Amino acid sequence: MKHLLNDMNPSFKFVIVTLSMIVMAFFFNPWTPLIFCCGIVLLQILFSQTNWKLWLVCMLPFAFGAFGYLWTTIVFGRASSGTIIWSSGFFDITDQQLNLALSLSFRVLAFSVLSLMFAFTTAPVKFVMSLMQQMKLSPKLAYSVLVGYHFLPLIKDEFVQIKQVHEMRNVAVKNSRWLRLTSIYGMLIPTLASSVRKAESAAFAMEARGFTGEPRTSYFRPIRIKPRDYWLSLLFSALLAASCIIGVLLEK
Amino acid sequence: MPEEVIRLNNLSFRFPDCSKAVLHNVSAIIHRGERIAICGPSGCGKSTLLYLLNRLYPLNCDGIVSGEIRLFGKNGEHYAPGEINRRIATVFQDPDAQFCMPTVEEELAFTLENLHIPQADMEERIAGILSLTSLTEWRHSKIHSLSGGMKQRVAVACALIMDPEVLLLDEPLSHLDPVTARDFVCWLDRLQQLRQLTIIAVEHRLVHWKSFFKREIRLGKDGRVIADGPPAEIPALLFPSRLSGKAAEEALRIQGLAVEIDGKTRLSPLSFSLTRGEVTIVAGPNGSGKTTLLKALCGIHQASGTIQAISRRGYVPQSPEFMFLTQSVSQEVAYSGISSLQEIKGLMNRLDLSTIADSHPFSVSHGQKRRVAVGAMLADKRQILLMDEPTAGQDAASLQELYTLIGQRTAEGAAFVIVTHDMSFALAVADSVVLLKDGAMTGKYSAADFWTRDDLLLAHHLLAPEGVAIHEASIE
Repeated sequence: MKHLLNDMNPSFKFVIVTLSMIVMAFFFNPWTPLIFCCGIVLLQILFSQTNWKLWLVCMLPFAFGAFGYLWTTIVFGRASSGTIIWSSGFFDITDQQLNLALSLSFRVLAFSVLSLMFAFTTAPVKFVMSLMQQMKLSPKLAYSVLVGYHFLPLIKDEFVQIKQVHEMRNVAVKNSRWLRLTSIYGMLIPTLASSVRKAESAAFAMEARGFTGEPRTSYFRPIRIKPRDYWLSLLFSALLAASCIIGVLLEK
Repeated sequence: MPEEVIRLNNLSFRFPDCSKAVLHNVSAIIHRGERIAICGPSGCGKSTLLYLLNRLYPLNCDGIVSGEIRLFGKNGEHYAPGEINRRIATVFQDPDAQFCMPTVEEELAFTLENLHIPQADMEERIAGILSLTSLTEWRHSKIHSLSGGMKQRVAVACALIMDPEVLLLDEPLSHLDPVTARDFVCWLDRLQQLRQLTIIAVEHRLVHWKSFFKREIRLGKDGRVIADGPPAEIPALLFPSRLSGKAAEEALRIQGLAVEIDGKTRLSPLSFSLTRGEVTIVAGPNGSGKTTLLKALCGIHQASGTIQAISRRGYVPQSPEFMFLTQSVSQEVAYSGISSLQEIKGLMNRLDLSTIADSHPFSVSHGQKRRVAVGAMLADKRQILLMDEPTAGQDAASLQELYTLIGQRTAEGAAFVIVTHDMSFALAVADSVVLLKDGAMTGKYSAADFWTRDDLLLAHHLLAPEGVAIHEASIE
């Protein structure tokens, strides 16, 4: 039970997440995203292994963003109608305005919670493999993403190397934040040069192993669609429908 | 006579944007089961020839080919893309840039999927190739966590799983330490006999291969075949004899130098000293802390302990281009502004950089890049130079050049600390050797009596170079 979301077919999950986002965009009230948001977190708590500490850290910027929406809409939004519910020396807040502000910020929260749910429960390699198998993504594109993903730590190591050598040559850079920022430009060229070289050798190596980019006919570890994928999709859809209906009812 | 697998008829090749041909009228017949080394100086078209054999060229570079390549009795051009690659497999030089999946098993499966092998047969073939190559233990290992030697073995396994008839190798040993390289060659020898493979390898130094190859095709600088036959007696790379530039004045003394990164001890306290003009080789197995030592010496890594030195230390990384900051060679050397114009001019002349003063540092040859890096360090008044793996992947000419460079600089009083796996180079250049193992220093030994101590060498994954006997004789 604790792995259901992690084990769910990544393409299926991807489609459900995308659909939910599109549907949510049509419901502009504070309740729909709020309910949906709480539901997703609940599902994630029940059916997945998540590092919640990391989740909170990742959620932080989105929370700031949501608060930013709330604040700017309240303070700068032009209230045209509605009853004033709170007033300070500089601005008045009407109930409509508050409603608008909450709708916006909860929507931001709902989208980010949904995205994080996807990111935290999906292994990147498995996702790409599944896209290739279920969504007919071209192997050319799929494997270039995989190789790129695979190269990230290598490129980071090299970037650190380059940075260290540059700092040795120009000690001033080490001690000044501004110089450190501007010197990144100089480091990009060596990093880029070696990345291009690496990319070429990787492409050669793949081709030498018979990779032509044509669709594959068999997979070593096929990623299949199982009954649980339908059940989970149903669960997501139910949550989405419930939050939409309740949202609309409460709005009235 | 075994059947013929590859026939080259007057093969010439040039790149589209270059008027000069890389390969000139190359003709050769290769039979099943042969072990062939393709040798020659850098830039002679060795790798190009290899890429023509597995059909990566000319399609990938729009190169212009004349003459004919017959593969298994059929014109190479008549094979569909990818068709020939399952019969002629390739292993590349860089262990890091030839994998695209995270684990060994998935990487092998990637190859099988390319070949449209039915899923039911995959398991059997993967298990089979893993046991053939003695890699079963590493089946689920993450490839990036393996050592360079293991990565090359995995690359060979990935090539062999296609059940190829010909195996092409592109300088497979250049990133391996001597003992790992020797083990790799023994392992490959056994595999070749088991599978009756035809092996064609590009290699500019045959020393590590001992008697592995039965035939050598040697290409000249202009891309013509200059020799084709049994390998010539392997000449131990002989460097002109050099007077040690070692002087009495101490250049560097370190005491209790230790490095700790993120709470992990990378280097236990070590102490040694160095005089002006001395060349010290730092050697030891992969991951023993050699690079960490260099980086601590030049201040890249925070280190405890004391360093007393006549000047700052200059670090030259394995890829010299990592340190370039400007648009031209002359600006690069003058970058720090520490030396006067006059001094820089003299330095550029002595390093033979004046002719390329206006070139972009990325556009010059590898040897020149290294000279630019050394020049920049010397212009910073850094008289102690730390070089990280300057010999990796270098051909004989480039090594000679490096050797000369070191000889001239030591004569001027600079001291060198050099990390290298190339023991014949070390033999020629070293005044002393510092051995590292597991982040601790075993000791600093004088080069005069170091090379005969087999126990010490083996314990540090080193092998005495071929030339030891000759060298000793020449000294006597």
